[in-house]
Amino acid sequence: MEQSGTSTRLQAAVQDLASGVVSVLRDGDHTRAVLPAGTAEAGDLALAAVRVLGADAVLPGLLSGATSDPAEVAVFRKAVEAYPPRSDAAPTVRWSHWGMARALRRLDPNSSSGPPDEPDTRWLDDASWQTLTHQLAVLAPLALPGESCAVSRLAARRPVDVARGFVRAVRRRDWRQAAGAGRWLTLLPGVPDTLGLESGLDFVELMGGQDPMVTLQVRAARLTRTGTLV
Amino acid sequence: MTDTRLIHQVGAGALEWLWAHREGFRLEPDADPETGFLERFKPVGELALICSVLFREGVAGSRQAELARRLIDHAWRDALDGGSMLVRGQRTEPLSPIPFEVYLPFRELGYSQPEMERAVVLNHRLDSWRAFETSPTRRLALSAFQRRFGLTPRPSEAEALRPTWLARTPEPWTVEGHIAYDITHCVFHLTDWGENPGGLPPGLADYVATWLPAWIDDWLDLERWDLLGELLVVDACLPRPTLDEPAWRAFAAVQRPDGAVPAIRAMPEGDEQEVFDIVYHSTLVAAFASVLATSRALTELARAS
Repeated sequence: MEQSGTSTRLQAAVQDLASGVVSVLRDGDHTRAVLPAGTAEAGDLALAAVRVLGADAVLPGLLSGATSDPAEVAVFRKAVEAYPPRSDAAPTVRWSHWGMARALRRLDPNSSSGPPDEPDTRWLDDASWQTLTHQLAVLAPLALPGESCAVSRLAARRPVDVARGFVRAVRRRDWRQAAGAGRWLTLLPGVPDTLGLESGLDFVELMGGQDPMVTLQVRAARLTRTGTLV
Repeated sequence: MTDTRLIHQVGAGALEWLWAHREGFRLEPDADPETGFLERFKPVGELALICSVLFREGVAGSRQAELARRLIDHAWRDALDGGSMLVRGQRTEPLSPIPFEVYLPFRELGYSQPEMERAVVLNHRLDSWRAFETSPTRRLALSAFQRRFGLTPRPSEAEALRPTWLARTPEPWTVEGHIAYDITHCVFHLTDWGENPGGLPPGLADYVATWLPAWIDDWLDLERWDLLGELLVVDACLPRPTLDEPAWRAFAAVQRPDGAVPAIRAMPEGDEQEVFDIVYHSTLVAAFASVLATSRALTELARAS
């Protein structure tokens, strides 16, 4: 029961954090802090929520390039350092952490650490289009304009497969996966025009937008596409 | 690439079931006029169309070819009473295109009914036949059938194609069950039921080839075997069929030992005629998909060797 209660509280904290990111993306006030402020004392739960959301916890700053609130950067750094991937962690966990380390470097130019080493993408080498899309959707925080990594280069080689995955996710009403795949597709060259991606993202938001994790991805996709913040 | 033997066995089994249950293809001469005498013509027409594909492709094996021939004979002689039931249907509803649609595949196999011939030619001249309100996909079917009959299609097939769902290549994530059937039938009519894959315009072939894997995956997951079978037919009509292995394996696995293929999820239970009415179509489609896919697989093998 204890564990289940913790898990529920963590989910709620992640949703709250995602809602905060969505709100900043929507209002365009990118100097506003999303992460719990004052927060040398940020609790374990808040840090865990940041770790779950990954680099998207600081998405407004990454997209705008504006100077971030040092206190926010400090909380983010704390989350990066508090949850290093274990040696047996799944590739998506390693990549998610790598994405956070990359984000930290962008937000804090004074950061002394060098560029983190990229994990490998071997687990996706022979992935079916279904698996590929699922894994990319989990790694949607890596889908950033102007940022390249082994995962984004791999995705760029398979635009039709990701587009098929988007269709599949919409048909299954898996709005989170659809939104994450849609965000990647806004960055990929060679996506078939007949996909109707723009309306597709609107549809995903209409159908699944009560979940802030969905809205976050759709808004990120839209901002990437219009280049408003870039 | 799926094992050709597995694909072939699905069709062989399906045909055995169709032969064993041939009495299910029957009309209801005493049908209530409100429900319509023509209602039960559809299965007979579908049987003839698909059996004619079996002949044409010539890859089904001698046992299957013989069963297909006997099934068509049975349908013509018994269910249609040597064609006189078509005439009766045509007299009951002179403007209905159904007797014409059912007659055409029999005619192509050498059966003939002079009164039907006259009725079709006359109807074709009528503006009312051209103005007959129906779905765009069926309109395309009627134009294609008129061409196959030797008439100048009214409207032309190009004109009839334009308002169909597929011709507009809409957003692929909007495809629901009824749209999927419109897509499959549009492809059937454009390719003369798989005989002429080149009849699918290149732009539409590209569109279908791009999105078909997502649709196959979806209806496989939903265990909608009837629709999955039609999508496998569409795959076999493409310039480069994928012969989707997971789909074919699942399709073969769900087939019953007697050859029946359920329409959705598992085989229904109940009265024999009720079961027939539910699964005859999915079983016919299984035979159809099997013969076309086998034919395409053998063509690929011949090309590779």
